[in-house]
Amino acid sequence: MSSTPVAPPPSAPPPAPPPKDTFTVSFDGKAIEVPKNLNLIDAAKLAGVDIPHFCYHPRLSVVGQCRMCLVEIEGMPKIQAACTVPLKDGLSVKTTTDKVKNARAATMEFLLINHPLDCPICDQAGECTLQDNSFGYGNQLSRFDEAKRQYPTFDRTMIGPHVVADMTRCIQCTRCIRFTHEIAGTSELTFLDRGGRTLVWTHEGQPLANDWSGCAADVCPVGALTTREFRFRSRVWYLQKTPSVCPGCNVGCNISIESRDDVVYRFLPRLNPTVNDYWLCDYGRFLSEPLNDRDVHKATVREGSAVREATVPAAVDRIAREIRSSLEGKGPGAVFFLGSAHLSNEENFLLRKIADHVGSPNRDAIVDKSRPRKVKSKTVWVEGDDAGANHQGAKDMGLSPGAGGHGLDAVIAGKASPEVILIADAAFSAIADDPEKVAALRRARFLAVAARNANALTRAADVVLPAASLAEKEGTFTNVQGRVQKFDRAFLPKPPIRAAWEHLLLLALALGFGDRSWTPHDLLRQIAAEVPDYAGIKEEELEGGRLLKKGDFAWAGRP
Amino acid sequence: MSHTRYRVMEAGEARRFPPEAMARIEKILTRYPTKQAALLPVLWVAQETWGWISKEAGEEVARVLDLPPSHVDGVLTFYTMYNLRPVGKHLLQVCTSISCHLNGAESLLERCGKRLGIGLEETTADGKFTLVEVECIAGCDRAPSMMVNDQYFEPMDAGKLDALLDRLSREA
Ligand code: SF4
Ligand code: FES
Repeated sequence: MSSTPVAPPPSAPPPAPPPKDTFTVSFDGKAIEVPKNLNLIDAAKLAGVDIPHFCYHPRLSVVGQCRMCLVEIEGMPKIQAACTVPLKDGLSVKTTTDKVKNARAATMEFLLINHPLDCPICDQAGECTLQDNSFGYGNQLSRFDEAKRQYPTFDRTMIGPHVVADMTRCIQCTRCIRFTHEIAGTSELTFLDRGGRTLVWTHEGQPLANDWSGCAADVCPVGALTTREFRFRSRVWYLQKTPSVCPGCNVGCNISIESRDDVVYRFLPRLNPTVNDYWLCDYGRFLSEPLNDRDVHKATVREGSAVREATVPAAVDRIAREIRSSLEGKGPGAVFFLGSAHLSNEENFLLRKIADHVGSPNRDAIVDKSRPRKVKSKTVWVEGDDAGANHQGAKDMGLSPGAGGHGLDAVIAGKASPEVILIADAAFSAIADDPEKVAALRRARFLAVAARNANALTRAADVVLPAASLAEKEGTFTNVQGRVQKFDRAFLPKPPIRAAWEHLLLLALALGFGDRSWTPHDLLRQIAAEVPDYAGIKEEELEGGRLLKKGDFAWAGRP
Repeated sequence: MSHTRYRVMEAGEARRFPPEAMARIEKILTRYPTKQAALLPVLWVAQETWGWISKEAGEEVARVLDLPPSHVDGVLTFYTMYNLRPVGKHLLQVCTSISCHLNGAESLLERCGKRLGIGLEETTADGKFTLVEVECIAGCDRAPSMMVNDQYFEPMDAGKLDALLDRLSREA
């Protein structure tokens, strides 16, 4: 080959542009670039154009069943179901023409022929796609005079442990059937009969009882499938939505806590394609009810044989006094700190800082194992088997025995006998209700716990602090994937109840370190500065969860 | 059948295909790309084996085809020619769709019921006859048309109907 560079002749065509990985599609005259693998309905959403639909769901197969998504496409003579039209370059979609408006109104009219018009007594009202689409795209008046279809014995019936079916409300979109078939893989649901008599039901003797059955009610656009637990408990428009993380296990599904007047009414899945996608397991979903349980409302302090109510600062001062006197008498080895897989990273971090401050190597955080739970992310199943959301985070924050220190096992086995034990979460394990193990912990001269619910451990303790629930505090959890996820506070705890981090901050101040102004946000900044795996984490970046740079996650398919 | 087909009746006992039926099913399966695709013909084998398809028979079909029983229910209740309850030896199916209707199907149906002393969807006490009304059976060119089990009788009139019922009644 010649080494002399040859100048291109002036007429040579410019180099071909690199192939695009997007399509240029226009919606109502507005052109936008969209990823090639999107469905037309989602592409329209990117362009800010709403294409009303019922049967289309981003994670379920496309069936073109409901005909609500009709649009005009330039170059196609007939109106098209948007969900079934493959994207391509130059596609021009019209959603505001008379033809489209009439088609949508006609579809709505057909759907409402057999659908009851009794929204005031239907629990779906307020989050019903049929109601919304009727309001947005339907005709106000009905021309239908005849009697509506009825389904005696197939209305308001439990078809599984959680889901109530009312077939008079079904619009035959098949989302629920596809969910059980394509996501849960259990196929409990099917259509029975045909035509105007079609209904969704189960095979006799095989109820809708898979681990995610509540999701069938989530995907149902109408009130045909609802959950027994939430049904008729609150109008949805009264509910305040707070982004949070499920406390059930270390998968850490993203949830919305739905509350009103400081009562949690339900959890709904919150979309996170890398963790739980659109789904939530039934176990986690229905932890919303126990979240309202509480029997520890006040701080208590034992004096001699009497247990007295005390203010939280006074109770914390007592803990600080006991810690100091043990440190003076026996040295730092006499104090033991137990964190928990239910506490946030910020709380476990602060507990560890307290242990550091007094110089105690005795710290631990254990977790009970649960039945393995799993949930389908967009690409893979994410599995967890911890009975707490944040064991990974507790370990990351340094809650395991330091050099020369001992852990919970040693204390329970009697191999170590600390004088003072501080348990930052009395619900840390089933151990807390095991009389023998509690007796072993009670060998300490002084035992302090924070708790929401009474158990054998709180009854044995010298000081009990009233602790906030998940809904009453904010912070971060680290899930089984090593993903740090933020949860927000739905409402303030009722005084004198406080979050564990507030108790711990009071204790830190009493022991001579920390700053009264610290919040979980400050603690997270400290974590980012001090905990190697969390270096550089920023709260603003935690939307969707940030994955730590670590090797050994419980699953292989990282996105 | 014209009634709703929401429920598949229970036979009350588990069903297993006898060896000859299994042999037929094996042969059917060789003609289809997937087991699911063979569902309709295998349901026919079930119907021919037991005369009707119970909940348990549907479960047996689901078992041999590796399908969810709910899916089998869906197909069973969609098609009307699977009998979801026991029927008599002779299943009288009178077409009442448009051509037959215009040619006197209703009076045929009525005559049939009167002679046998049964209503629609009912079976005679001796278990010989079940009377049902069906949608178009593709006999429009010789309406009114009816079928007994899988045999056509057309065009029908009162005299032919009487003769047919007489003959069938005499049969064992
Ligand atoms: S029950 Fe709900 S999700 Fe299922 S087909 Fe009917 S409307 Fe759709
Ligand atoms: S969303 Fe397109 S047909 Fe239902």
